Amino acid sequence: MSGTREAKLSLAHKVPPPTGAYRWVYLWEWPIRIMHWLAVAGILTLVVTGLYIGRPYFMTGGEASSHFLMGRVRFAHFTAAAVLVMTGIVRGYWLFMGNRYERLRALFPLRRRDWVNLVRMVKFYLMIRPERAPHYLGHNPLQQLSYTALYAITGVMVLSGFALYGQSDPGGFIYSATNWIGPLLGGMPNVRFVHHALTWAFLIFVPIHVYLAIRADHLERTGVISSIVSGGRFVPVDHHFVDE
Amino acid sequence: MSLPSLEAWAAEETLGQRLQSKGVSRREFLEFCGKLGIVLGLGSAAGPRLAQALQALKRPSVIWIQLQECTGCVESVLRSAEPTIGNLLLEMVSLDYSHTLMAAAGHHAEAALQQAMKANQGKYILVVTGSVPLADGGIYTTIGGRTAKAVLEEAAEGAAAIVAVGACAHWGSVQAARPNPTGAVGVAEVIKDKPVINVTGCPPIGDVVTATLAHFLTFGALPATDSDGRPLFAYGKRIHDQCPRRAHFDAGQYVEVFDDENARKGWCLYHVGCKGPATFSPCPIFQWNGGTSWPIGAGHPCIGCTERNFWDTMTPFYDRLPDVGGFGVERTVDILGAALAIGAAAGVTAHAVATGIHQVRERRKLPVLPPDAGKE
Amino acid sequence: MATTRVVVDPITRIEGHLRIEAQTEGGRITNAWAHSTQFRGIELVLQGRDPRDAWAFTQRICGVCTVVHAVASCRAVEDALGITVPPNANLIRNLVHGMQFIQDHVIHFYHLHALDWVDVVSALSADPAGTARVARTISPWPNNSETYFRGVQDRLKTFVSGGQLGVFTNGYWGHPAYKLPPEVNLLAVAHYLEALDWQRDVIRLHTIFGGKNPHPNFLVGGMASAINLDGTATINAERLVDIQGMIRRARTFVEQVYWPDLQAIAGYYKEWAAIGGGVPHFLAVGEFPEGGVNDVDRLYFPRGIILDRDLTRVHPYDHKLVKEYITSSWYQYAAGDGVGLHPWEGETKPVYTGPKPPYQFLQGLDKYTWMKAPRYEGRPMQVGPLARMLVAYASGHEEVRAEVGAVLGKLGVGPAALFSTLGRTAARGIETVLLARQMERWLDQLIQRIKSGDTKTFDGSHWEPSTWPASAEGYGYLDAPRGALGHWVQIRDGKISRYQCVVPSTWNCSPRDGEGQLGPYEAALVDNHPLLKPDQPLEILRTIHSFDPCMSCGVH
Ligand code: HEM
Ligand code: HEM
Ligand code: NFV
Ligand code: SF4
Ligand code: SF4
Ligand code: F3S
Ligand SMILES: [Mg+2]
Repeated sequence: MSGTREAKLSLAHKVPPPTGAYRWVYLWEWPIRIMHWLAVAGILTLVVTGLYIGRPYFMTGGEASSHFLMGRVRFAHFTAAAVLVMTGIVRGYWLFMGNRYERLRALFPLRRRDWVNLVRMVKFYLMIRPERAPHYLGHNPLQQLSYTALYAITGVMVLSGFALYGQSDPGGFIYSATNWIGPLLGGMPNVRFVHHALTWAFLIFVPIHVYLAIRADHLERTGVISSIVSGGRFVPVDHHFVDE
Repeated sequence: MSLPSLEAWAAEETLGQRLQSKGVSRREFLEFCGKLGIVLGLGSAAGPRLAQALQALKRPSVIWIQLQECTGCVESVLRSAEPTIGNLLLEMVSLDYSHTLMAAAGHHAEAALQQAMKANQGKYILVVTGSVPLADGGIYTTIGGRTAKAVLEEAAEGAAAIVAVGACAHWGSVQAARPNPTGAVGVAEVIKDKPVINVTGCPPIGDVVTATLAHFLTFGALPATDSDGRPLFAYGKRIHDQCPRRAHFDAGQYVEVFDDENARKGWCLYHVGCKGPATFSPCPIFQWNGGTSWPIGAGHPCIGCTERNFWDTMTPFYDRLPDVGGFGVERTVDILGAALAIGAAAGVTAHAVATGIHQVRERRKLPVLPPDAGKE
Repeated sequence: MATTRVVVDPITRIEGHLRIEAQTEGGRITNAWAHSTQFRGIELVLQGRDPRDAWAFTQRICGVCTVVHAVASCRAVEDALGITVPPNANLIRNLVHGMQFIQDHVIHFYHLHALDWVDVVSALSADPAGTARVARTISPWPNNSETYFRGVQDRLKTFVSGGQLGVFTNGYWGHPAYKLPPEVNLLAVAHYLEALDWQRDVIRLHTIFGGKNPHPNFLVGGMASAINLDGTATINAERLVDIQGMIRRARTFVEQVYWPDLQAIAGYYKEWAAIGGGVPHFLAVGEFPEGGVNDVDRLYFPRGIILDRDLTRVHPYDHKLVKEYITSSWYQYAAGDGVGLHPWEGETKPVYTGPKPPYQFLQGLDKYTWMKAPRYEGRPMQVGPLARMLVAYASGHEEVRAEVGAVLGKLGVGPAALFSTLGRTAARGIETVLLARQMERWLDQLIQRIKSGDTKTFDGSHWEPSTWPASAEGYGYLDAPRGALGHWVQIRDGKISRYQCVVPSTWNCSPRDGEGQLGPYEAALVDNHPLLKPDQPLEILRTIHSFDPCMSCGVH
């Protein structure tokens, strides 16, 4: 059994698990993978800089003219914001250009069967009859739901962020494109509040997301984590998947 | 506007003639017009154009009505500090109705209003301070036995332009703050068939009111506004982007509590709740009371008094974020968020442990992998 | 004799919306009602808010006495949370409030009250040389020259001949109750204009400490304007010198223009020293703490109560004996409209029962105003400058005794003359003179403290809500330009759960109570009160203006 244990720990790249008949399925094409990691970098930067903007927890001393701490932090925030928006655009484009796992239909729980399976997935994670869990190659319904929610939240962050950003240049393009948001939420302070509060959504999502990725990798030993690096995973030849 | 004054001119006399008879030189007048151009955001090059328009001006009538309010806006205009020649221009409007200053009362006051409206039908400037309480048939403010709404509607009828002065006239201000017991609204919510310009603030700087009037007098039209009806020449920029303490903001230098070392160094008030980053107002540029100072200049954070709904959206005043819904969420949102994030981390750890136990149990029952695993 | 019903609405040259109704018979007022016709509900708006924000909300109760609600609110919250402001902050608040008094009183005299006594049109026929002569006998004010008065008169002539009288349109010019000689009328008109410029200058003291006027900023726990003599964005030497100048100019104007004018005009209207006395009880909560708010023995204007015009006794004041009644007001109490409630139990539930507008008369209705009726141990009370000066006089305040004695001597009347329309106007002048002097002392004290190294302006020990008790109650007193003011706050779990204000104009403009006792405006109007021409209610304006009404304050 020692071989098995090794396999369990492996982060199985393109090396097939040392057992059974497996096939390699290519799931995430390179644009998706690159965008994922760029978005990860962007979001981590945005969270860290955003929390500083929200509460400057350390200060500089001396002459104001010799420091630019908040200026730099805000610059980093806006640069990361630009990166995030870019990844969003590419991802949006790929909803139509990508493979069946990457397309619009795979991303949102649109079909009836997805909703049925959603319940089973929840039970799976609650370890109630886990063997009845549906098997997906791409996103399972729970992932669909959480990723969809995350995309929506990111969308709100981007919109509220740009609405805030636009304030410094009234009449400018960003201002004009976003100045419906303030009145919609009952004033710019509320926009700021939403932007601030939703930051926590990322801090809640990330540990769960990373845990589930590692867990799946660990249990299924089929390279789920590596899929977002290498693009694909190994699956038993004879296994049928819901979304295949 | 310095109100009232004795600077009337004869019925058909133009401002040009009037100035001449008062011994104001052409050069002085042009200089003034140049300054006015700068204030109005037109640049000093607009001076000659302004001069031409102004010279032809005949004595305009201003009717000023006060609805549901605190009189702070009238007081603010009484404090407006014009350069002398500006005074000259603005003193010359005929203030034909003003609750605060007029000699007559009761029926005689009402009669003065009717006379002024009739004599200047279609030509007078209507200045409004105060809100219009609409709840319960408008009984929360009556004047001469009539509701504020009726008084406003009648006065608006024959006005050439309507200048809503102050946050009350703009959107209701303090009496319109949650729960708005009297259903107070701004002028533009009652008068829909005429443009209303919102010279807002609680109160606005008096000079902004007079400059807006000057614009109307010179061009016969109200100045350009933003999407909330506020004149752009005054409310076109955020306080935060014009603030003398901005260098400290960028540097990362903040007052942490009032009167700390940093406050005594004049650092940025962001951390004690300054709403400058969300407030469009000319305070740092125009300043208050003849350029003496302004709120942030005197060490207090801006409370955002030129923004619609600021009593609800900018409060608590000493917190950076609003108290959304009045439930105290704002202060707990970070605690709540942090708790959830920690909860999520703890949750996944617990789940990982549970998974481990589950796995061990399952493995005892049936092999996870085929018996020939690892032998391919 | 036939009774005439009189309605004066709007009462102009006041703050807010006041309607006076009266009945007259043979040139005398026989009955009177004061109707306040604006309600905003600020006490309701305050519920559920952060108590540290309350000052800004309550400040917007009034833009005329723009300082007083903010300070009363800070004091109420500080009382509830156990905060003591540093001495510097107390001094700064005294300076700011002191300048409020001075500016408010002078504006009131020239711009709100003077036209009741001064006939602008009569000034046209004045001999400017005569005006200059009169002026020189009463004051060394340098502007008081013949040329100066002639210039003003010329402007006035062009103005009147231009046909459009602006704010002077439809005044009661030529009314037989106007008694000033043309020369004195011209003097007053000239100073009416000068006062407009003067107030704009001296009020900048507020701008330096509070960032603007109207509605300067305050802070629970002190003042936000930090002191640093070497700073550029703080209270520094340059700012202090500027303030010194304003205080000097304020004092000079008060001593050389306002006060001499007031006395000169009063000399022509001595009969008004027997008219409009009204309610015989007077309340002063005291103001200008010189040793901190809780040291009520060191208030520059002392605290106390005068009953039945008896100046031989000053009764102690206990805020717990204040109750508000709504028998005649458009509100409901849960326990029934007959009870009186102490403000800590106070309720504000508006229920309008008046006629549907437009309406003709309100007189005779059971409920007829938005003003509540505060009573002290069941008694209506007059508050304001007169109450303050009487309490100070009766308490043996030396400066007050000297000034009061001097005025009475000059006018040749006894102390009984104080209980009148003229008495209220004169008392306002007296306290302005005293304050204008006192301001210099407070500024000196502040400068001395700074010199000795104390620059503290804020006490933050109870700033954070985590340091507050779960439940707290506070009372903030303050004697405002128009009289005794109180804010009562209740704080539960860090938020305001109840907030009640009883304001000078609430006391003075209160309606009848359950016992049928008239409020001070009403009582004054039926106290030996003439009204020559019911369609020209000049005398009503005199008496009502002598209270310096503020309706936005009174109802809030
Ligand atoms: C995952 C995405 C993001 C996170 C977690 C995030 C987080 C934050 C946080 C916590 C703040 C401080 C809010 C406060 O308390 O006032 C902030 C401020 C801000 N963010 Fe973001 N943000 C994100 C995306 C963006 C984007 C896409 C933009 C677009 C330009 C943006 C623009 C801004 C701006 C303009 C501010 C205000 C900074 C200032 O004006 O000083 N943010 N952000
Ligand atoms: C800020 C942090 C992160 C965010 C916001 C994030 C977001 C996302 C999103 C939205 C997807 C769906 C991809 C798509 O279809 O477009 C995804 C997929 C994935 N992410 Fe992340 N991610 C983060 C960090 C990570 C990390 C650190 C890992 C690795 C340990 C990881 C592993 C994966 C994997 C394996 C998938 C594919 C899962 C599947 O569909 O089976 N992610 N992530
Ligand atoms: N009454 C009153 Fe005030 C004063 N003085 C308030 O406290 O005027 Ni607006
Ligand atoms: S806007 Fe503010 S200052 Fe002006 S009347 Fe209204 S409450 Fe008073
Ligand atoms: S004081 Fe206020 S407006 Fe000025 S820079 Fe700081 S946050 Fe911005
Ligand atoms: S509070 Fe108002 S006065 Fe100016 S600095 Fe802020 S806009
Ligand atoms: Mg009250």
